[in-house]
Amino acid sequence: MKVIYENRFSELEPLLARVEKPTRYINHEWGSLYKPEAEHRCVLIYPDVYEVGLPNQGIAILYRNLNETEGLSCERGYIPWMDMADAMREAHVPLLSLEGAAPIASFDVVGFHVPHEMACTNYLEGLDLAGIPLYAADRGEDDPIVICGGPSVYNPEPLAPFFDCMLIGEGEEQIVEFCQRHRELRDAGVPRARMLRELAHVGGVYVPSLYEVRFDEPCSAHGYTVPKAGEDVPPVVYKRVVKDFGATNPVPQTVVPYAQIVQDRLSIEVLRGCARGCRFCQAGMTYRPVRERSADQVVSAVTRGLSSMGYDEVSLNSLSTTDHSCCEEILNRLNARLSDTGTSISVPSQRLDSFGVDMAAAVAGEKKGGLTFAPEAGSQRLRDVINKNVTEEDLERATRAAFEAGWRRVKLYFMMGLPGETDEDIVAIANLADHTLEIAREVVPKEQRGGISVSISVSVFIPKGQTPFQWCGQTPDEEVKRRQQLLLRSVKNRAVRVHYHDADTSLLEAVMSRGGRDIAPLIEAAWRRGQRFDAWTEQFHLEWWEEAAAECGLDLREIAQTPYELDWRLPWEHVSPGVSRGFLQREYRRSLKAETTPDCTRTSCTGCGICPTLHAENVLVGERV
Amino acid sequence: MSNASEQTLFRLRVAFVKQGRLKYLGHLEVIHTIEQIVRRAKLPYAVTQGFSPHMRIAYTSALPVGTSSTCEYFDVYLNELVSVTDALDRLRISAPMDLQPLCAGYVELRRPALTAEITRVDYLIELFFKDGSAPNIEELRQSFDTLRARGTIPYTRGKKHKELDIARTLESIALANGEDAHVYVALATHCDNEGSLRPEIILAALDQALRGVEPGVGEEIVSTGIQQLSVIKSYNVERVGQYIVDEQGETHAPLEMKPEVPEGSLLKQSPIGALSNL
Repeated sequence: MKVIYENRFSELEPLLARVEKPTRYINHEWGSLYKPEAEHRCVLIYPDVYEVGLPNQGIAILYRNLNETEGLSCERGYIPWMDMADAMREAHVPLLSLEGAAPIASFDVVGFHVPHEMACTNYLEGLDLAGIPLYAADRGEDDPIVICGGPSVYNPEPLAPFFDCMLIGEGEEQIVEFCQRHRELRDAGVPRARMLRELAHVGGVYVPSLYEVRFDEPCSAHGYTVPKAGEDVPPVVYKRVVKDFGATNPVPQTVVPYAQIVQDRLSIEVLRGCARGCRFCQAGMTYRPVRERSADQVVSAVTRGLSSMGYDEVSLNSLSTTDHSCCEEILNRLNARLSDTGTSISVPSQRLDSFGVDMAAAVAGEKKGGLTFAPEAGSQRLRDVINKNVTEEDLERATRAAFEAGWRRVKLYFMMGLPGETDEDIVAIANLADHTLEIAREVVPKEQRGGISVSISVSVFIPKGQTPFQWCGQTPDEEVKRRQQLLLRSVKNRAVRVHYHDADTSLLEAVMSRGGRDIAPLIEAAWRRGQRFDAWTEQFHLEWWEEAAAECGLDLREIAQTPYELDWRLPWEHVSPGVSRGFLQREYRRSLKAETTPDCTRTSCTGCGICPTLHAENVLVGERV
Repeated sequence: MSNASEQTLFRLRVAFVKQGRLKYLGHLEVIHTIEQIVRRAKLPYAVTQGFSPHMRIAYTSALPVGTSSTCEYFDVYLNELVSVTDALDRLRISAPMDLQPLCAGYVELRRPALTAEITRVDYLIELFFKDGSAPNIEELRQSFDTLRARGTIPYTRGKKHKELDIARTLESIALANGEDAHVYVALATHCDNEGSLRPEIILAALDQALRGVEPGVGEEIVSTGIQQLSVIKSYNVERVGQYIVDEQGETHAPLEMKPEVPEGSLLKQSPIGALSNL
């Protein structure tokens, strides 16, 4: 029987007294959009708690676009923290949307955001709380269409059996087309099975049930996925891309939360895509081409957004904001306009080679918190292997400029376990950190040296699909732990703080990144053991995952660590961000010779294949230098 | 800050409500939201000097999570004089319904901070009892008298052990029956920098006293805005008055204009009504 769309907040309210942070569940935020009279309802769920999910820009864009469309509505949902989830189960209260406090199962379309691999058990937690069958195959005519989309759908297979449709690529136009098409089919009384076949023809939509996994050509243990015989669906689902990024609303954000959350600020996406071509970086491959907003558009968007939402902080977001051809101009104009208002401007992820003295002065105005740079690898050789085109001179110049401009805290990001990494490369990380501290002590006046902080944060390399390293296995976790100890011993200066990422969670992330459809039962088995919120380190239980793997006859380490042959068919090759396999293979071969490849926004085309395949192109508003 | 710039400031005092779902906001969440409201209203607010500039604004004492109010105040310092009606209109359209401003007025710059000036705080509480365990008014009055006679109630807040000094902070109590076997309790309390009365501590102590437990001694009382109690099934607490007490013992509202009682307030339902004559 179809679940009725109705407000059930009165059932949730008595539970608020029993949980931490009731603000997570009360909604009615400033700027929330609510169209109870709409004929078609979609709910978008972020697979984590409210304060983690609320700042998500992808959902903000889709939420606004759907609600601005005649006849369509979009509400939001989040995964209740464990205290609330348990209280809801006990009280038989289903998962509710925020705006209408209506059961998730009563919506026409239920969409989950896929931010990263470690949200995997939370989709099941959400579906179970909503009372929706976990597997697409078990859903009937009265169940909603369950979809997903987001940055981490480029190896869709481990999640494929849980979703009716997976939306690949940029969703702002796609989600509206999808919901409109669904509404037509629903109104025409089209049965579910035929409806899914029709929805597979909305561009960029992958319908897993219409495809099958095969092993009859050279491939990994996870096989490769092709359309089932007789199904008229694309053999490769290409991502959707917004061609005229400048024409999209630069201030999609509307909701201002009551809760104080880490990224509670105005967020303006100043450019999309990055063509630096770092070989480990999935986003660098999947967000292409590069498209910039004009300086005028950014400056007016910031002014408009701040005054309508009441924020005192704005973040200029993108994969690499300092690469924007007008970054300095934008910062200078904003600093001039916002002086004396107590507003701060932040720029995430500074590029080492574009952070000079001028940029140091323009970023952050008067407030100087910490500054983060990402050399990614310790030695020049290894930085060439991964195509991180920055030099030790860049690091020296950037950190010197930062300390001279008044920053006292500098954090350096590295990865460990990169292909071809040796012990010398690990020692080189320690040397860079020691050298950075020496620069700080040289530059910073004696009386201020107490405030100096240099820290390094070292994550574990995860080979991801759609990157030049997609054929590589992950470095064994025991070896990663040995290298972490080597790093700790190699840092000479005790004032340098070293943080390193947990090798256990990285192991699972690699499993999710490299596995196939055979991983779905593993996710279910782990969730049935009580695993949820894997992204919260203290909630991650490797032993549950190992038990679940044993139950499913899988070996986590084998999945994470077995390399794939260059000519094998891959588990994720039926979805594509438009980057050609030939380009990825060429890049992999160049990495073996430590040969670098330039950035196509600064030189000429490097032949990644995105532009011809997706009929799109880089759009720069100025000259990149 | 120099005297010259101090003289160009204007101190706007605004009364506002905290009700409905937004009663679940914590104090920091309320503060944070009020500042956003002021910015959305585009009031010409003054900014502090120094390393980390922020809005010059001050509030009354913290209201626990789950407690509503008809009489919260903030003082925001403005660089320019804006008419009270204009300022209030702009704040109204910038504020969610459940944090609506009620009235406003300018006050002297030299007056003490709100938290220093306000020493009398009134609460109205609605109590619901578990089936069959509702005491009559006399029984309740006796329990309260016993609590008052004890003088102090021990409780913990975070990791700290504290004592609520009832004798000093509780000025008077009024009790009345509601319609369907629930009870209204009105508390007039005294607060100063030595401490204040948190109503949920009294309720937790009352719940224990009604069960014959020595309050805070037989069982620990932990200070959280929303208590899980035994005899008391659920309760609503509303702050209904904040006053300045002058040397003659006369009470004065922090603003001259008296705001109307908002819809949804316990004051609309309670037979006890206004408490200023307790």
